[in-house]
Amino acid sequence: MNKIQKILTVAANEKLCPRFYRLSLDAKSLIKQVKPGQFVHIRVHDGLEPFFRRPFSIYRAKKYLEVFYEPIGRGTNLMASYKKGDKIDVLGPLGNPFTLPPKGIKQVVMIAGGIGIAPFLVLSDALKKKYELILLYGGRTKGHVYPMKEFKANGCKVYVATDDGSAGVKGRVSELFAKINADPKTTYLYTCGPHAMMAAVQAFAKKNYLQGQAACEQVMACALGACLGCSIKTTKGYKTVCYDGPVFDLQEVIF
Amino acid sequence: MNLSVQIASMKFKNPVTVASGTFGHAEKYFNLEEVKEFGAIVPKTVTLFSQEGNPPLRIIETPAGMLNAIGIENPGADGFIEKKLPHFRKIGVPLIISILGHTDEQFIQLTEKFNAAEGVAALELNLSCPNLKHKVLVAQDPQATERVVSKVKKISRYPVIAKLAPNVTDISDIAAAAEGAGADAISLINTFSGMVINTKTRKSVLGNFTGGLSGPAIRPAALYLVYQVIKRVKVPVIAMGGIMTSDDALQFLIAGATMVAVGTANFVNPRAPLDILEGIKKYMKDNKMDDIKELIGSLKIEKNIH
Repeated sequence: MNKIQKILTVAANEKLCPRFYRLSLDAKSLIKQVKPGQFVHIRVHDGLEPFFRRPFSIYRAKKYLEVFYEPIGRGTNLMASYKKGDKIDVLGPLGNPFTLPPKGIKQVVMIAGGIGIAPFLVLSDALKKKYELILLYGGRTKGHVYPMKEFKANGCKVYVATDDGSAGVKGRVSELFAKINADPKTTYLYTCGPHAMMAAVQAFAKKNYLQGQAACEQVMACALGACLGCSIKTTKGYKTVCYDGPVFDLQEVIF
Repeated sequence: MNLSVQIASMKFKNPVTVASGTFGHAEKYFNLEEVKEFGAIVPKTVTLFSQEGNPPLRIIETPAGMLNAIGIENPGADGFIEKKLPHFRKIGVPLIISILGHTDEQFIQLTEKFNAAEGVAALELNLSCPNLKHKVLVAQDPQATERVVSKVKKISRYPVIAKLAPNVTDISDIAAAAEGAGADAISLINTFSGMVINTKTRKSVLGNFTGGLSGPAIRPAALYLVYQVIKRVKVPVIAMGGIMTSDDALQFLIAGATMVAVGTANFVNPRAPLDILEGIKKYMKDNKMDDIKELIGSLKIEKNIH
């Protein structure tokens, strides 16, 4: 076997709220290697359709290796049918993780849109003892907002905005920026979500001289830095999400 | 069991290689002991000067395949020789270096640069490049193919392989032109030109507007084109196009290919080249073959009568 390809067994596959599922994989050998912000690349089935593997941020790596997903396309709909005991071909953990906030930071704000919440639970696991944690979450509807018990258990203050106002504040996640103590000496940002949302976070950060990191997504083929297919625009030229990312400096990405 | 094959003076311990642009970062992600099993490695195409590549989106999956328009992002010949070649060399597998010149002069300069480098087994000419000021690619014009291959062949200290594109009227004419110019082998096929349109935005999905189609979707067409070339030329053929499994690879070998390259399959199953090599060995054992030469070109061409 190569170093990063494993056949893992499904321990559980649960619906956490009307839109989101959590897949738990038995992966004792991998859990200790996982760093917040890394991802796994899942071959959703053995056939040729859909063709690519699917990349997922690692949601948690405690008892199981967990990924968080929304059944929305062919790959994720197939995943929703996984049963306990199913065997899955997984590459990972892959990619560069989030790095710790610089010295002097007291407040860490995680700003997530939709499925972009996926990398933040494992991040909050790592940061909970040292920082005041805030999660700003933007979703389309109430159905996209699950109870976030685990975030609250990690001491996160959770604020929600939905497009239709069916949960939390009505509007975009940017409606919640007022919750941030915009002091660059003590506040640090992490964001993951749609490009338009991360662009808004980037603009807010720039205006307030806040630093942060963005976890990016792109259509991906190899996930090993070989095909150079998953490139995004950055201030340093094209960078692959799989190998140079998925975590980038917030101001480096050109959304 | 003898799996070794030969292209000009260069011997390869087995016929399985990886196609250009589909394999890298071996030290980080692979057990090098296993990568040593490959017959050869073809790193991503190198151009004379560095290229930043095409704007996103660069890839999209298609039925049983993918469309790509990477734009040959690469560090240029000097960057490749300095930074990447040492890592590839460390693996200890013959390296076939894929080069692309935007002019004949660039092909010559690339050849000279690799002539001066160490640890190269052969040069593969990516002829899917502009042909002077014509609209067609070099690989779409027999005269241009002949011109480029002969210029490189004249100065190369390595065997020269001409890589052909499938978007042509008669690929065997191009292959014959390459052979006539002294090519030591022909490799085919590069990707088929393709497009995907997003019907919501009515825009082409790829940043480059069009791209190249690869994967199992093109395999039967690739096999047909490979077979047309094998019938026409005497030099060895390196076959590629949607090879995912050992059965796929066997089809090309039976048709007469000397080597097979695994490309897009690496993105779905990084183990594919090793699985394919194992499958070929098993097939030979099951069919009581001791030498790969018994397998290569063993196609039975009786007409099927129903």
